[in-house]
Amino acid sequence: MATLQSTAPPDADRSPARPVVRRKRTVLQRLRHDWPLLLLALPVVAHLSVFHYWPTAWNIIAFLDYSPYRPFWENPFVGFAWFERLFNDPYFTPALLNTLKFAALNLLCMFPLSIALALAMNSIISVRVRSAFQSIVYLPHFFSWVLVVTVFVQVLGADGLVSNWIMDGGGERLDITSNPETFTFLVWMQWAWKDAGWGMIIFLAALSSINPSLYEAAASDGANRWRRMWHITLPGIRPVIILLLILQIGGILSVGFEQYQLQRQAVGYQATEVLDTYVYYQSIVGSQGESFGTAAGLFKGVIGLILILIANNIAHRLGEQGIYQKS
Amino acid sequence: MATPSDRAPFKRRSLFKAAGLGAAGTAGLPIVAACSDIESGSGSTQTTEGFDFLPTYKEWPLPVEPDLVGEPPNHPSAFTSYPEPVQAITDLPSGSGSYELTVPCWGPAPAKDDPYFAAVYEAWGGTKLELRQGDGMTYGDTAVQWVKADEYGDGIQLFSYMTGSFSNFQETVVNKFYDLTDILRGDIAERWPLLAAIPSAAWGQAVWSVDPEDPDTAGIYAIPMNYSGGQGNGILARVDLMDAAGIAMPTTVEELLDAARAWSDDANGKWAFAQLDWFIGQWFGLGGTDGWNWDPEQQKMVNNIERPEFTEMLTFRRTLWDEQLIHPDVPTGTLDAAALQEAGQVLFTQDNLVRWNDFNLKVKRGEIEGEVAPLPPLAANGRTPTVAMGAGIGGWTFLNKDLSREQVEEILDIANWAAAPYGTTEYQLLQYGVEGEHFEIGADGTPVFTPLGSEIVQGPVHYKALCCQVETFLTGDPDMVAKRFEYDASIQDYAMENPFEGVRIEAPAEAKAAGSTLWDQQQDIAFGRAELSSIPEMVETFMANGGEDARQYYTDAYKAVHGE
Repeated sequence: MATLQSTAPPDADRSPARPVVRRKRTVLQRLRHDWPLLLLALPVVAHLSVFHYWPTAWNIIAFLDYSPYRPFWENPFVGFAWFERLFNDPYFTPALLNTLKFAALNLLCMFPLSIALALAMNSIISVRVRSAFQSIVYLPHFFSWVLVVTVFVQVLGADGLVSNWIMDGGGERLDITSNPETFTFLVWMQWAWKDAGWGMIIFLAALSSINPSLYEAAASDGANRWRRMWHITLPGIRPVIILLLILQIGGILSVGFEQYQLQRQAVGYQATEVLDTYVYYQSIVGSQGESFGTAAGLFKGVIGLILILIANNIAHRLGEQGIYQKS
Repeated sequence: MATPSDRAPFKRRSLFKAAGLGAAGTAGLPIVAACSDIESGSGSTQTTEGFDFLPTYKEWPLPVEPDLVGEPPNHPSAFTSYPEPVQAITDLPSGSGSYELTVPCWGPAPAKDDPYFAAVYEAWGGTKLELRQGDGMTYGDTAVQWVKADEYGDGIQLFSYMTGSFSNFQETVVNKFYDLTDILRGDIAERWPLLAAIPSAAWGQAVWSVDPEDPDTAGIYAIPMNYSGGQGNGILARVDLMDAAGIAMPTTVEELLDAARAWSDDANGKWAFAQLDWFIGQWFGLGGTDGWNWDPEQQKMVNNIERPEFTEMLTFRRTLWDEQLIHPDVPTGTLDAAALQEAGQVLFTQDNLVRWNDFNLKVKRGEIEGEVAPLPPLAANGRTPTVAMGAGIGGWTFLNKDLSREQVEEILDIANWAAAPYGTTEYQLLQYGVEGEHFEIGADGTPVFTPLGSEIVQGPVHYKALCCQVETFLTGDPDMVAKRFEYDASIQDYAMENPFEGVRIEAPAEAKAAGSTLWDQQQDIAFGRAELSSIPEMVETFMANGGEDARQYYTDAYKAVHGE
């Protein structure tokens, strides 16, 4: 095999190749170089430190017989005694089961509803109809839960609008807002009215990033609307769906507070008690103290973390990005 | 051998790691679990009598004698005429401090720039005591956080019933509030003659111990609120509507049920009750402290829920619900029962008896029509009625422990001023405001609030509850006073005995939590969400989750008071 050789004379002046040594910059140099970025990050770091990391450190009181009235180091270490009390409490398990029930319901019913709304919204061509539709489904998100629950009681309550219409017609009084058996349905209706439109917004943003030429190409190839949705739209927003799904699974034990607390008296604690209201009634306004509430909160946090890691891991295995890019 | 795939769902190494962590955790659990037991929230018992450090009682002669003399505190004396007020404190202290006091407020907070406040400041010597109003409906719960965070200003008013929200009220008191013992010990009549004339029983109820087991650590930690007795709450009936419907005033629970059936018409929006829960235990002989009572026959502490009368009571409540004798929205807890009664939609309301007077005043002002009166003591199944009444203070004014001794003494100066009883100019200003602005003297010679007075002085709590008065009387509209005096006299024979007289008990935290759930369960049965047959299970759960421990706790407290 011929070897290519240069005919050019060797460059006598060129100094022998030296290895490039990249000098490590000192902290001061890095600070001088990156200070605008650091300055930008400072408020966020301060916020996280004060409102997240510092309170997180106080989770330690779940393992102490804590009293706010004595020096911190004088609080005796009690190991898992508060967790033991928590798990032995006969009202904890029903609260946990209710939480899981509402979380599963939210995941199965609300998540697809938001996607369906986004797809429906995306298919509307008329700007006027689109704006009206968006306002109707989106605005209730900005109502407080107090208002939402009040509207439902005024309309569907035992002495509400619909009930009185039915009674005027000789029927029986409506019993939806204070009936534990219909509470799950009531909760679903309230979610659908209040939050489905909000969930739709993110999917709409994802839909807008899909290249329209894909639809044009598919249409010219004869793909009908359903095929375009199945083969272009849904794959296009799949990363967002997966990301939101993972985040939702991570917060599965945080199904909300006000909605259940506001209706607890009317429907009864057995149907409405979720982990957050349980902690509130046992620890915040109840007599069980800070350590008990922290133990319950920590339990919730640990379960959430485990779930989010599992979901993220599954997403990576399925080839999705998940909540971060796997290197 | 096949090479393990990177895409395998589980890696062997990961499994080992997880198993290792699990094993380590499992092995470690008993070690850490055995560290120490939870000792907080184990309850406290505090005697409220027999202290040698209370202010020495020295009678303060009343400027005017009452028209109707009762047997205080359960049957207070009364004024049916308005006396010419005299000044109680002639040697006014001079105060220049400015303080903030947190108080509950039901309804809209009064304007802070009203002349009432300036007049009060001037009258008690110049000290400024600004009010920081919190919503009365949630005050007890939020006060817990304010106190822990030291965000209640220089003092906070807490009513007795609000203390249940604190996981350990005794610990809170001795750690967060000023110990007044050294200032108030012994003879204080020279500087604070009115504080010295407050009944010692009232001061005794403002005592807590740093260590409840050690009587030597006890001290005065608060200024007591009004000391009174008798029946505080009752069921107010619209007697005019009953007369019109030909319904007689019931004298037994059975007659009450008949009256409710005769009146109620669900389809036409008429119900006998808008709410009926916490009051009616006494109709079934259920009393005690936190439901605990000593049973002399069984020689043991028994909770109300273990008695057959408890089932009778819940059966009665369930009947009201099943037969639509109570407003269908009552489970929401958001009904304005007073408004419904004023509108004639409900016949009976569960109320503080103060509303008897309020209703009467509204009628006199021409705002509403009708007449209400309290139901007499009732009982079921031919038993003798019982009425829960207890002499005691309504609550406390606690001072911040960070105040200096001089600041505390300045606040005690104004507390002394506020302790002036009926018949004094101090009382008149505090209770009625400035004549011509907040009240006028009516045709019958008694003060009548102007609309501004109703808004600023009559409604809100503010300084009226700052300190216990030397003596509490029935006062106001002469007709109303006479009726109330007569009613109080009529119920004295039915007074329920308090098994824990002279002792303040804070139940263990677990028992309090179990009691809270027990209440939720009662509501479930009363509103048809659970069956009456679930009562035994409910009792069993309560006893297994703090109830039995509470039984022992209350037994010990009872024996400490009454001996073995």
